[in-house]
Amino acid sequence: MARSDAFEARESERVSTYRLLATDDALSQDLLGPDAADLAAASLAMARRFASGATLWCAAPSWPWHAQHVAVDFVHPVIAGERSLPAVMVSGDHLWESLRPIARAGDMLLVVSRSDEPSVAGLRQRSKAWGVLTVWIGTGPRPEPGSADFVLWVDDDETVSSYGGRFALLYHLLSELTHVCLENPGLLEAEQAVCGDEVCITCSDEGCLGEVVAIRADGRAQVRTPAGLEAVDTTLIDRAHPGDLVLIHAGTAVTLVEGSPR
Amino acid sequence: MSHESTGFLNRCVDTDGHDVGALLSDLVATAGAKAAESSRLRRSSLEALDSDLEQAAQAISERFRAGACLYTFGNGASSTDAACVAALFARSPGGALLPARCLVADPAVLTATGNGVGNELAFSRQLVAFAHAGDIAMGYSTSGNSENVIRAFQETRHRGLLTVGFAGCDGGRLAGSGVLDHCFVVRSHSIHRIQEAQAALSHRLWATVQQRLTPDGERPAVGQREPAADQDLAEPEEVR
Repeated sequence: MARSDAFEARESERVSTYRLLATDDALSQDLLGPDAADLAAASLAMARRFASGATLWCAAPSWPWHAQHVAVDFVHPVIAGERSLPAVMVSGDHLWESLRPIARAGDMLLVVSRSDEPSVAGLRQRSKAWGVLTVWIGTGPRPEPGSADFVLWVDDDETVSSYGGRFALLYHLLSELTHVCLENPGLLEAEQAVCGDEVCITCSDEGCLGEVVAIRADGRAQVRTPAGLEAVDTTLIDRAHPGDLVLIHAGTAVTLVEGSPR
Repeated sequence: MSHESTGFLNRCVDTDGHDVGALLSDLVATAGAKAAESSRLRRSSLEALDSDLEQAAQAISERFRAGACLYTFGNGASSTDAACVAALFARSPGGALLPARCLVADPAVLTATGNGVGNELAFSRQLVAFAHAGDIAMGYSTSGNSENVIRAFQETRHRGLLTVGFAGCDGGRLAGSGVLDHCFVVRSHSIHRIQEAQAALSHRLWATVQQRLTPDGERPAVGQREPAADQDLAEPEEVR
C-alpha cells in the first residue's frame, strides 16, 4: 500500500468513526459556487458601512473566541499597512440589552452561532429595528428567510465548522474581501442614501420595525427606527411599553411584534 | 448561503452598475482562489505532518490518562485559536471531556503580568503558578517568533511538561529553539491560511487523542469497524 493510500485508509477510519473530519474538498467547492457571490455582496456592504463610519459589533454567544477573532482581525489587520477598522466583541448574558445604548443606525452586527442559539433571535430583531446591518455565520438548520441581511451558512457538524476552521475561513475571507473593497473608494458611496425619502415610502408600504423608547405625554410612542426617533400612534395595538418591538405603517404601530420583553 | 435583504435598508442602491459588477466578479474569483489555497494548505499540512500528529496524539493521550491538564496560549488571533482548542478538548460535543484551559481567558491576570513583569512572561508566569510536571503546554504563533510563547515553552519543558507548538512560515525561532517535544509548522506566509491549517491540525490532534482514549479506538478490531471502512483497513495501519 502506497503512503498516500495508507493515509487515505486512516482517513476513512477516522471519518467513519467520528464523522469529524470532513474532506477539505467541500470547503473550496462551497465557496466556488454561487455562495461566493453572497460573501462578495456581504463584503461590499460591510466596506460601504465602514467607509461611512460604522462600527462592526461581533457576537458568538457559545463560541466567544470567534467574535474576538473577527474583532482583532479588523482592528489589527494581518497585513501591515491595512487600515484599522472599528470592530468590537459583544459578550455576556444580555447581548442586545448591552448593545442597545451603544449601537447606532448604520452599524453592523456579525453573529457566529447555531441557528437555534437562544440569545441570537432578540439580537437580530433589535438590530433590524435599530438599522444595524446583520451578517450571520452559522451552522445547524438553515434560518428562515429574512433572519439576517446576509446569511453565510456551513452545513457541517459543529465540531468541524466551529472547531475545525470552517467558520474561520469564512470570516477571514469576509475581512480580506472587505479590505479589497475599501481600496475602491469610488464604489463605496451607494449606501449613503439609505432611508432617504423614496425608501421610506417603500418601508412604510412593507411596515418598518421599530423599538418603543418611551410613551409621550400625548399618548403616542417615541419609537426608535433605522431612520431615527419617530412619534408613532399606538391606538391600533392594545398598549405600548418601552422596549416593545412594533411594526410601523404610515406613522402608526400596526402590530406588536412577538418577543418584546415585559 | 443566501442573501436575504431587509428591503428597506438596501433598495436605494444607486451607483455605476458596471463597476460594482466588475468588483463583485473580482471578489468572487478572489474568494474562490483563497478558499482553494486554504483547502490545499490544510490537506498538504495534514498529510506532511501525519506521523508527527500520530506521535503527539499518543504522548498527549498518555498524559491525559495520567491526569494531565492541557494549557493553551497564543497572541492576538492566535489567542482566540488557542481558546478554541482548549474548548474543543474541554467541552466540545464530539468527544470525552478533558481538563484543558486557555491562558488568555483572564484579562486581570494578563494585564497584571504585562504591567508588572512584561508581556514576554505573560504565559510562563501563569504556567509556573498553575502547571505540574506531566501537564501539557500547547502554544500558537503564526510567525514562530512570539517571545512570550517561546519563553513559556522554555519555562515548562524543564519542569516536565509536554510541549506542543504550532508555527507558520518557516517555523521561526520556535522551530529551532529545541524546547518543543512536538512542533507543527504550516509552510505558508499567509497568516489567515496558516491559522486555518493550524485549526485543521489541532482538530486532527484532538480527534486522534479522542480515538486513543476510547477503549476500542486504540487498536480497533476489524469486526467493529464501520462497513464502509472495512476494505480500506485490511492493511496494517502503520504502513509508510
